[in-house]
Amino acid sequence: MSKYPPGKYTPAVEVGLDRMRDMAKGNFDLKWMHSNPQGWGHQVTPGPTGLRMRDIETGYYGQVPEHGSSHGGMAPRGCEVPPGTRALSMYTMNDMSEVWAENAGLLYDEAVVRQWNSITDVPWHKLQKLPDDIERAVCQMCTGLSEVEFVAGDMPAKWLCRINHDFHEVKLFLASQIFDEARHLDVFRKRALANGGGLMMASPGQEELLATILEAPDYTTASALMHIFGEGFVLTLFRQGEYLAPTEVEKAIFRLCMQDEARHVAYGVKHLKYFLERHPDRTEQVHKILDLGEQAIFTLTLEPQTSEPRAILAGGGLANIELGAQRMAFIYAKQVKEYLRRLEVAGLDREPRLTIPKEIPYEDLAA
Amino acid sequence: MPKTTLFPSTQWFEALAQRMAHEEAAYRELGSIDCTMVVKVEASQGPDLYELAFEGFKARSVRRLARLEDAAPEHFVIEASLATWREMIDNIRANAGPDLTHTLNYLTFPDEPMRVTGPDQLEVDAFYRYNQSLQRFFNGAADLPTAYAA
Repeated sequence: MSKYPPGKYTPAVEVGLDRMRDMAKGNFDLKWMHSNPQGWGHQVTPGPTGLRMRDIETGYYGQVPEHGSSHGGMAPRGCEVPPGTRALSMYTMNDMSEVWAENAGLLYDEAVVRQWNSITDVPWHKLQKLPDDIERAVCQMCTGLSEVEFVAGDMPAKWLCRINHDFHEVKLFLASQIFDEARHLDVFRKRALANGGGLMMASPGQEELLATILEAPDYTTASALMHIFGEGFVLTLFRQGEYLAPTEVEKAIFRLCMQDEARHVAYGVKHLKYFLERHPDRTEQVHKILDLGEQAIFTLTLEPQTSEPRAILAGGGLANIELGAQRMAFIYAKQVKEYLRRLEVAGLDREPRLTIPKEIPYEDLAA
Repeated sequence: MPKTTLFPSTQWFEALAQRMAHEEAAYRELGSIDCTMVVKVEASQGPDLYELAFEGFKARSVRRLARLEDAAPEHFVIEASLATWREMIDNIRANAGPDLTHTLNYLTFPDEPMRVTGPDQLEVDAFYRYNQSLQRFFNGAADLPTAYAA
């Protein structure tokens, strides 16, 4: 008696068993071996560092459709999709202009080859006991950065699962960004806890900005606000962190994070450029979200738990906090200048619309 | 007396490029680098310009420029006085790497004594994106006996 009498299993299992019976009799299908003839015979030449995404995405496989595939599945771009393949309803971002940036593949290559980790790439053995005010300032700075960094993980994650699979360069880049941000959260938390201090005060001002990013109505405005505006400002804070670092440990942390952040900013700038070239009518919408972001960041920048630790580090201690604040007054003007210049590359003239001062005249205010 | 190499000069940057080639494994750990850096040295007789093109784990080319307009369109410029460059290089040589106040980022962050500029902000941002590798490149001066132009 057969172990598999007809009717014992569900129809789906029965189909599988029928196929097994055919195979056992030497009847194979093999249609897949002749599928997708236009995609067969692809030639690649590795680049100077190895086989990069941009080396394989050429010719037939490098053609990215303006409107992503209608099959609605996860089938990779360039393969043959059998008729009747089930569509997944989650992919609602199907226009290339909604997500594309010409440097997405290049930045993904760069992200994977420039990876680092917080376990072995930071010289933790060089941590040294710091004066109490300095340690508290470092820990507060790290608390704030632990709080803000993963918005750049959560925001891409919110949109990633909606992006059509034909735009895999963007999806993979955003996935790499999520991991970058995981590392940033991890390394700042680690630094706060590693030297006898601990986490300090969260920032209501940061939460305002984070909410604006997470609640942005569409991906492009969220990206303009986060990749260009938020990460651009944080990039300067990372540079400042390296500048103020009391030991080689913080120096290494900020230098590593700075590199990642600059990559994220580069994607944001090129995405906004691509988008605005195709949708100039949406310029006002981008301006409006930046209005909100500017207001949030101005409050945040001057919040005590954000500005004071940096002033202590710049002054060399609590006793010189005023001197430190004066020394670091230039950073705000630098952040605004670089922000405006990045938007200029993206094709957005923001200067006439800027809702915050271009610089803070610290000495005038002090007088 | 060890043989010295003059800074700034094409030979000096080529010597660093050779060190980079010899230390490929260390640069691989940092990841590939793809940018063009122009080093501008302000001296009494006027600015001296050197263009270094990085690709993968190598400095692909080093050349002296007559003027900045001759640089590849996509580039960033690190500029400082000869005295500042000298102080940085001497510090790297004295400590087998920069101390906390002589890293590239430290020297450029306040826009003085060094400054990073470029045709647009994304080009300047490349200096931030590849900072570890660029720092390592200059750290190659640690064992390069250097003489300075008058």
